[in-house]
Amino acid sequence: MTRGLHGFHPFTSWLYFIGLFLLSMLLLHPIYLATMLLGIVLLICMQGQTSVLRSYLKSYLWIGLFILVLNPLLSHRGQHILFYLFDQPITLESIWYGITMMLSLWCILLVFISYNHVITAGKFLLLFCRLFPKTALLCLMAVRFVPLLKRRLSEIHSVQKTRGIDPTEGPLWKRVRDGMLLLQVLLTMSLEEAIQTADSMKARGYGLFEQRSSYVPYRFKRADYLFLTLTLAALFCCIGGWILGHGQLTFYPGLEGIVLTTSEVPYYFSLLLYLLLAIFIEGREGFGHSRM
Amino acid sequence: MAILECKQLYFSYPEEPKETLSELSLSIQEGEFLVLAGPSGCGKSTLLQLLKKEIHPFGSLTGDIFYQGKALEDYPPAQLTKDIGLVFQDPENQIVMDEVLQELVLGLENMGVGVAEMRRRVAELVHFFGLEPLLHAKTETLSGGQKQLLNLASVLLLRPQVLLLDEPTAQLDPIAAKELIQIVYRLNQEFGLTIVLVEHRLEEVFPLADRVILMKQGRIHCEGSPREVIDQVWESGNPELITYLPSIARLYLELDPSKEQIPLTVKECKAWAEKTLKPMSPNQGTNEQYPEVLLEIKEAFYQYSRQTPWILEDLSLQIYKGDHLAILGGNGAGKSTLLKLLAGLLSPQKGKVLFGKQNIKKLKKSELYQKIGYLPQDPMLFFVRETVEQELIASAEQSGQADPKKAVHEITSQLGLSNVLNRHPHDCSGGERQKAALACLLLNQPEVLLLDEPTKGLDPVSKQQLAFLLQELHAQGITLVIVSHDVEFAAQYASRCALLFDGGIASHGTPQDMFAGNVFYTTAVSRAVRNVLPTMITCEEVLAHCRAVRSIS
Repeated sequence: MTRGLHGFHPFTSWLYFIGLFLLSMLLLHPIYLATMLLGIVLLICMQGQTSVLRSYLKSYLWIGLFILVLNPLLSHRGQHILFYLFDQPITLESIWYGITMMLSLWCILLVFISYNHVITAGKFLLLFCRLFPKTALLCLMAVRFVPLLKRRLSEIHSVQKTRGIDPTEGPLWKRVRDGMLLLQVLLTMSLEEAIQTADSMKARGYGLFEQRSSYVPYRFKRADYLFLTLTLAALFCCIGGWILGHGQLTFYPGLEGIVLTTSEVPYYFSLLLYLLLAIFIEGREGFGHSRM
Repeated sequence: MAILECKQLYFSYPEEPKETLSELSLSIQEGEFLVLAGPSGCGKSTLLQLLKKEIHPFGSLTGDIFYQGKALEDYPPAQLTKDIGLVFQDPENQIVMDEVLQELVLGLENMGVGVAEMRRRVAELVHFFGLEPLLHAKTETLSGGQKQLLNLASVLLLRPQVLLLDEPTAQLDPIAAKELIQIVYRLNQEFGLTIVLVEHRLEEVFPLADRVILMKQGRIHCEGSPREVIDQVWESGNPELITYLPSIARLYLELDPSKEQIPLTVKECKAWAEKTLKPMSPNQGTNEQYPEVLLEIKEAFYQYSRQTPWILEDLSLQIYKGDHLAILGGNGAGKSTLLKLLAGLLSPQKGKVLFGKQNIKKLKKSELYQKIGYLPQDPMLFFVRETVEQELIASAEQSGQADPKKAVHEITSQLGLSNVLNRHPHDCSGGERQKAALACLLLNQPEVLLLDEPTKGLDPVSKQQLAFLLQELHAQGITLVIVSHDVEFAAQYASRCALLFDGGIASHGTPQDMFAGNVFYTTAVSRAVRNVLPTMITCEEVLAHCRAVRSIS
């Protein structure tokens, strides 16, 4: 059962994901981000989460494209004016910036897919319940509620349709009002249920003891230390490079060359190492099985 | 020795003028199987919550609760958490973790139990419950019955001395409910675990309980062994409480004044019936003729997505004008889906739904929703406003009533809703919510009402009120379609039944045809009297027959 990143101590894998999130947000450079995106997609495939990826693909594509289109329309900074749209200058720089933001957002969203697969509710509680018992409980319930809310909202919608409340029909103001009404119902119902969930946890002694135990005996093993050292080294290297200005493209006022310079190559390779470590760990399991 | 004892309890919720519990004294013996029953709002759930210290409701409490001779306040919290376990009503909301194993051990982890001890407890309990195949499943994929079993198991891992259960079967289908009750009974019999069970389905628990307590308005109305309680209720002649009696007991009490051995099981009733009742040769039931088809589904196929199997396959069903149809079937047979197709909320991938010979796709949506009223399984999905009254007025305005206020007034007095008009729908009882939602639908003056599991979670009194209301509406000419698990309800009130199985209608006909022909899927009375009176399925029919026989002889 304990395979790939799952096999590590929760702290090890949690830290790895925090690193991924950090890098997706810091490295605003299309080449770095494209590399990361590829790496994360590969990681998701290795973890057998392609079906999850597929289910989100369409909405993620739209969100990304939205940013891509919106940025050049709103931001007119930059030296190279490509053309005018409704008398507004569209610049090369703002288009590239849009692309970069799109890639960054995609990376963050996709890391979440892998994160949800590896950091289960139990691991999350183990990591945080001693430090912040109430906050951990709140986070856990919030995460648990997402699929529940989605399902519930569609139920409410289908019933309320029959009562003339339908945010997909009618003039704009009616849609907005109806949408708010549905969300309000959703919220009241869910709060009601959240109280029951909290009761059920209290009834089983949550937060009663300082010292919580764990059914799965997570221990820091040699593999943990090794993985942690390697990934942290790569991560620090990347961040060090970022502080020096590598891995962040200057967009405004004029676009810097996108192609990597020789001085950037070591930092780029440390990012590759960071990604490949997890892919290797997950991939090894897959190959191990196919050989048997 | 009494394991739990309440002395002179008074409890009232804030801003409630009436006490929820008053002058309640009760002692629960070790190893006892105690059943608490009573109409909703009688305080039985509040009592249960008071016994479990962690979730004491807010309000003012006087009186004392003792556990093993010591007041609850004098215990360290850890011991009470372990010793007194509670299973709640709703299977979904109790589950916190996303994996079954994680959920099971949550309590143990909270209590800081060591890994070795934890593994041993989990291993033996999983074995007892037969949960092995589910151990690594995602909790959201479990059925309601499995979820409730998981909740029970998770509580038992703490090794409680007393197990409290708050209507654990209210949200389950009858098969899952029976399984859960049987497991609880086994825990009582095999381990001597003290059980306090709040329950509405008394037919199931009467044969198993050591003691039954009927509560009413915060007080103990009567208590004793199941037979004593049945006798007391019968003697009191209170029509509300009589609805709590199992149908076989009622049949017996009506016909046998000696009351020597009140039957609690079908087996006992069958032996008595074969001695007492005069047999009758089966005669052909008269088939009612319905001239006009109102709503029809034709050769319909439906699936939720391409990857999932077909829920409905080549299903055809006709609903006549003036019909009172009950659609029965197991869990996941597609009953609710069928109802949504009929309501026009979903459309079939193949086949069509016709309303008065017209495809409902071609009807205007607003007109369709007005003519076909749909009541979801959870009436809470139905309410969006602050009070019941606002809800009703909005419905009246939407349906274009000339005088909304007057229409609302009429419907509330017809349904007896006047006292809840100013309440928030969340603060109403299950029966009141059901009625309020029905009232909203009725303001549209629908031709057909589609009701999804309207009896789910209702106490017997509310259930009977609902039945009378539905009969009244039926008499007014409204066509009714009910989806239900409740065999007894369908047998007594429906004029036609259809059994949904394997994506299609497996059989349909009058309740008599259907249930008298079934051996397993039928009412308790039918099972008890089938050798003597093979066509009779309800208590009322047998009584009418006996009266007729008596008047002849």
